[in-house]
Amino acid sequence: MDELELLKKDWKKDKSNFPKLSHNDIYKMILKRSSSIVRWIFIISLLEFVFWAAIAFAFKDSKEIKEFDNLNTDYIIIPLTIIGYCVLIYFFYLFFRNYKRISATDNTKSLMDNILKTRRTVKNYVAFNLVYLVIATSFALFIQFDQNPQIASMAHQAATNGNLFVFYARMISVTIVFLIGAISILLFFYWIIYGFLLKRLNKNYKELKKMDI
Amino acid sequence: MDKKLEHSFVALLEENQNIVHKVCRIYTDNQEAHNDLFQEIAIQLWKAYPKFRGDAKFSTWMYRVGLNTAITLYRKSKRKINTSEIETVEFKLKEDPYDDTEEEQLKLLYQAVHQLNDIEKALVFLYLEDKDYREISDTLGISEVNARVKMNRVKTKLKTILNP
Repeated sequence: MDELELLKKDWKKDKSNFPKLSHNDIYKMILKRSSSIVRWIFIISLLEFVFWAAIAFAFKDSKEIKEFDNLNTDYIIIPLTIIGYCVLIYFFYLFFRNYKRISATDNTKSLMDNILKTRRTVKNYVAFNLVYLVIATSFALFIQFDQNPQIASMAHQAATNGNLFVFYARMISVTIVFLIGAISILLFFYWIIYGFLLKRLNKNYKELKKMDI
Repeated sequence: MDKKLEHSFVALLEENQNIVHKVCRIYTDNQEAHNDLFQEIAIQLWKAYPKFRGDAKFSTWMYRVGLNTAITLYRKSKRKINTSEIETVEFKLKEDPYDDTEEEQLKLLYQAVHQLNDIEKALVFLYLEDKDYREISDTLGISEVNARVKMNRVKTKLKTILNP
């Protein structure tokens, strides 16, 4: 391979071309903030955790929830809440453990592995939340239909008008629209992360994997 | 204490800065991107410095962090100007048999290296730095045999780019 040898020859002698940075230049650099993808992934992951915690807190004191609490729901709400917090803590622990493992001194493949692992943790957490959201909403809807006197009377009225099906359909559609809204926000996060931040990493990771088969 | 550590690190990096410049040279094709990547590598080196135990040479350790930053951690700046395209056009125009000087060939070679993907660039870089296959496989986290096979493919690919 004469071409690469030629390049090597040039590579070795070619030292003076580079700008010579002073002690001070370099010192200023290391004080700057990193803009690495790991930092961005970390920030976005925390946002995802905060997003779900905020949803829980935001709705906690709303009028609707208070009304809802007056219904006989403890048997379902308390276990759901406990499960929710336990899972949050568990994922948080996993996320930080994986994040701590990310080290630029690892070999390239393990480094990529570890970055993708932190993402997978958050992805699983979000998937859990989605399932949780669908289950909780279905329960809530069921309980409302079953116990809320206001809704019961509305349903009764609809039944006498012969619109019972339309009434239920409307309630269920509103719920579905709400779920679609929540899912869209998540898809937006994913669009940012996978389309933008992790595109190059995924490509290089695949390339390395392909090489090692 | 921290200040002392900072300054001893900066002194080491200042002394070995050419390694970082070389990584930037392989991975970027304009000055602005070069400076950007240099800065990110410097930050990553500093962040990883407490873990540097001195059982490896500082320079060896720099290769690893530098390449990892270029391949994995660094996010290319959006303001990137696509100079490689412009240069390619220019080179194509100049392609006559009389211009086949060594310098021209070197320009074309660097041009060809810039067309490789990130992993292939890492292989070429380590090859140019005279690293053996054991160190190459260690740095990238692949087997020695596969590093060798891939290196041969990269050589072929470079040939194809140079003589289409």
